[in-house]
Amino acid sequence: MIINETNAAPGSVGCDQVRSRRFRKRLRHDAIQFAIIALVVALIGLLGYAVKEGLAQKGIKFSFAFLSNAAGFDISEGKTFSLSDGIFPAFEAFTSDRSNGAAFIAGIFNTLKVAVLAIILSTVLGTLLGVGRLSTNWVVRNLSFWIVEFVRNTPLLIQLVFWYFAVVLHFPPLAAAAKWYGGVIISQQGLYFPALSWSGDGSGISIALVSATWVAIVGFIVDPVKGMRRVCVVAIVALVGVLFASGFLSINYPVASKFQASGGTSLSPEMAALLLAIVVNSASYIAEIVRGAIDALPKGQWEAAGSLGLSRRNTINDIVLPQVFRVVLPSFGNQYIGLTKNTALGIAIGYPDLFNVYGTVANQTGHSLEGIVIVMVSYLLLSWIISAIVSWANSRLNQMGASR
Amino acid sequence: MISYAFKWSSHNLFGKPFDALLSIIVLPGTLWLIYSILHWAISVAQWDIIPLSMRVLMIGIFPADQAWRAWTAAGIIAALLGAALGCVFSFRIHHAFFLALLLAALLTVGVGLQVSALTTLVAAVLACAWLLTSYVPLARHVLLPAAFTGFISVFAVMAPPGVGLWGGLLLSVLLTLVTAILSLPIGILLAFGRRSRFSSVRLICTGYIEIMRSLPLILVVYWIWILMPVLATGWSLADVARGMIGFTIFYSAYVAEYVRSGLQAVPRGQTEAARSLGMSEFDINRSIVLPQALRVVVPPLVGNVLDIFNAAPLVFIIGLTDFLRAGQMILANPQYGDRTYEVYSYLLLTYFLVGSMITYAARKLEAHMAIGSR
Repeated sequence: MIINETNAAPGSVGCDQVRSRRFRKRLRHDAIQFAIIALVVALIGLLGYAVKEGLAQKGIKFSFAFLSNAAGFDISEGKTFSLSDGIFPAFEAFTSDRSNGAAFIAGIFNTLKVAVLAIILSTVLGTLLGVGRLSTNWVVRNLSFWIVEFVRNTPLLIQLVFWYFAVVLHFPPLAAAAKWYGGVIISQQGLYFPALSWSGDGSGISIALVSATWVAIVGFIVDPVKGMRRVCVVAIVALVGVLFASGFLSINYPVASKFQASGGTSLSPEMAALLLAIVVNSASYIAEIVRGAIDALPKGQWEAAGSLGLSRRNTINDIVLPQVFRVVLPSFGNQYIGLTKNTALGIAIGYPDLFNVYGTVANQTGHSLEGIVIVMVSYLLLSWIISAIVSWANSRLNQMGASR
Repeated sequence: MISYAFKWSSHNLFGKPFDALLSIIVLPGTLWLIYSILHWAISVAQWDIIPLSMRVLMIGIFPADQAWRAWTAAGIIAALLGAALGCVFSFRIHHAFFLALLLAALLTVGVGLQVSALTTLVAAVLACAWLLTSYVPLARHVLLPAAFTGFISVFAVMAPPGVGLWGGLLLSVLLTLVTAILSLPIGILLAFGRRSRFSSVRLICTGYIEIMRSLPLILVVYWIWILMPVLATGWSLADVARGMIGFTIFYSAYVAEYVRSGLQAVPRGQTEAARSLGMSEFDINRSIVLPQALRVVVPPLVGNVLDIFNAAPLVFIIGLTDFLRAGQMILANPQYGDRTYEVYSYLLLTYFLVGSMITYAARKLEAHMAIGSR
C-alpha cells in the first residue's frame, strides 16, 4: 500500500480504481483464506469431539497419565531408562514392573537398534550389489541383477516371514550350533558375537584413556582437516592398543552350553530375521540408486581414468564412487527413512519394536488414541533426525569436494 | 562350439585377473546354489500341497459354492487389463506366445478339468479384449465408461456373500485396484493444493503429504481400523472397507508427490500461453496442465500400483485373510506336515511373476512415452 501511495503520480487516471480493485482482490483472498482455516479448525474440532464422545461411551478419558502406571507385561528384549536410583537415569533391561512410558522407550530403543544396524549394513551391501550390476564379470553382473529384481518385485512382508520361519528358525539348535572362528555362534535361539567388554575400575587413568579415545573418534568423524583426521586414526589405534594391553578392555567371546549361551553380544532370532529382511530389501533399492548414479556419470570420467592407466578397480574406487556418493546421498536419505518405517513390520514376527509395544500398551490400557500421538510423533522425529543427518553429511561431503 | 564357449568365458569370466578371481570365488557358490535349489524343487519338495489348497490361496475363506463369482470377477478384471494393454501395446504374435506360456505355467499348478477350462477362458477373455482395443478404434473410445462399469460390476458380483469373506489373492488384487483408483483423484487434488495460491491450503496439503510419507503404512491402516468405530459409533463398516480407506489415505500422499513432479515438468510457457488466451485458472489446470502432467507420471504411477500390490499383505494387521495369511493358514494345518519352503516359495514366485510383469509394463510405458514426447 505504501509503495502504491508514494509511487502513484498525483492525478494519474485510474489510480483510485486500480487501488480499489487491488483492495477488493486482497479482501477476497483473505476472506477465502479465513474461510479455509475456519473450515479446517471446525473439522478438526468435530473430529476431536466425535472421538471424545466415542471414547466417553467406552468409559475412556483422554489423558497421558497412564504412561506412569506400571506396565504389567514383559518385553522380550530392549533397554529403557529408569529414574529409580540415583540422579543419572540408568539404562537397563525392561521388566514388567516398569511404567508404560518406559515400555515405549524400550520400543523406540528396539526400533532404533534395528534401524541403525540396517542402515549401515544395507549401505555396504547395496553399494556392492550396485557396483556388481555393472561388473565386467558375467556371473557377478547377472547374479546381482537377479537378486535385485527378485527382491524389488516381492513384498517385504513375505520376505520377512520367509527369513524368520524358513531360514532363522531352521538354523541348528544351540546344542549343535555352528561355531565359526572368532566365536560367532549361529543357532535358532539367536546369533552370538564376540563383544568388547569393559573391566576398568573407574580409576583416573582408565577414565582419562577412554575419554581420550572418544575425543579421537569424534575428531576423526567431524574434523574438517584431513591431516588431523589421520592423526586421530593413529591416536585411536594407539589408545585402543594401550587399553587392551592394560587389561581395561578385553574381548568377551560367547560360550555356548547345551541350552543357552553366555557372554558376548547376541541378536534374538526375531531381530536377526528382521535385520536380514530389511538389509537385503533396502540393499536392493540402494543398489538401483547406485547403479543409476554410476550410469548417469559422464562417460568421459571412465575414459580419462582409463587413459591415465588406472585399473577398473582403481577407477571405481577413486574416480567413480566418490562422485557417485555425492549425488546419491539425498536418495539414500529417503531410503533410510523408508527403512526405518519398514521396521514396523517386525510385529508380524513378534519383534518388540515401537509399533508392537504400542499395540500391547493400547490393548492393556485402552489408551490407543494417546498411543497414536506418541507413536506418530516418534516416527516423525525419527524421519526428521535421519533427514537432518543426511543433509548434514551431504553438505559436508559437497564442501570437501569443492575445497579440494 | 567349444572354441566359442572358450572365447566367451575368457572374455566374460576370466578377462582380467580380478575378474578371474571373482569368478573362481563366485562361480562354485552360484552353481552349488542353483543345483541345490533345483535339486530341492524337483526331487525333495512335495508340491502337491499347492494344487490341493489352490482355492484357499486364491479366494481365502470365500464360500466354495460361490466360486463362480470369483471367476466372473477374474474374467472382468482380465478383460479390463487386456483392454488397457491394447491401448498402449498393439497385440503382436510374440504377445500371444507369452500369453500361452503364462497359461501353460498356470495350468501346471491348477488341477481338474473345470479349473483348467475356466483359467483358459479367463486368458482368452484377456486376449480378446487386448485384440479388440488394439485394432478397433471405437473400443478405445468406450474404454473409460466400460472400465467404470466393469469395476462396479466386479463389486456387484463379489459383494452378495459378504464383503468380510473376501480373501486370498483376489483380496490383494481388489485392494490394489480400489486403492490405485481412489488415490488418483485425491492425490491430484492434494498435488494442486500443494501449489495453491492460498497459503493455508498449501500448508494443509504439505502437512498431510509429509506426515503420511513419514509414517509406516501398517500404522496408518491399523489406526484407521481402530478409529473408524470410535468416530462413527453405530455405523459398522466392514474390515475390508476400513483397510481400503487406510490404504487410500496413505497412498494418496504418494500419488500427490508423483503428480506434483509431473506438474513441475510442464513448462511455464504452457500456463502463460493459456492465460494470455484468457482461460480461467480452473480451465488452464484441467485442460492444459493436468493432461501433460499425467502423461509424464504414468510410468511412476504404474510403479506405485506395484508398491500397493506389494504392500497388500499388510492387511494381516486388521485380521484379513490375504494371500500371505491364506498361505499361513495352510501351513497351520497339521495334516500336511512341514511344507514351509514349498508354500513360501510359491507365494514369493507368484508375487515375483506379477511384480515383474508390472515392472516390465512400467518400463515399456516409459519408453513409449519417451517416443511420444520427442
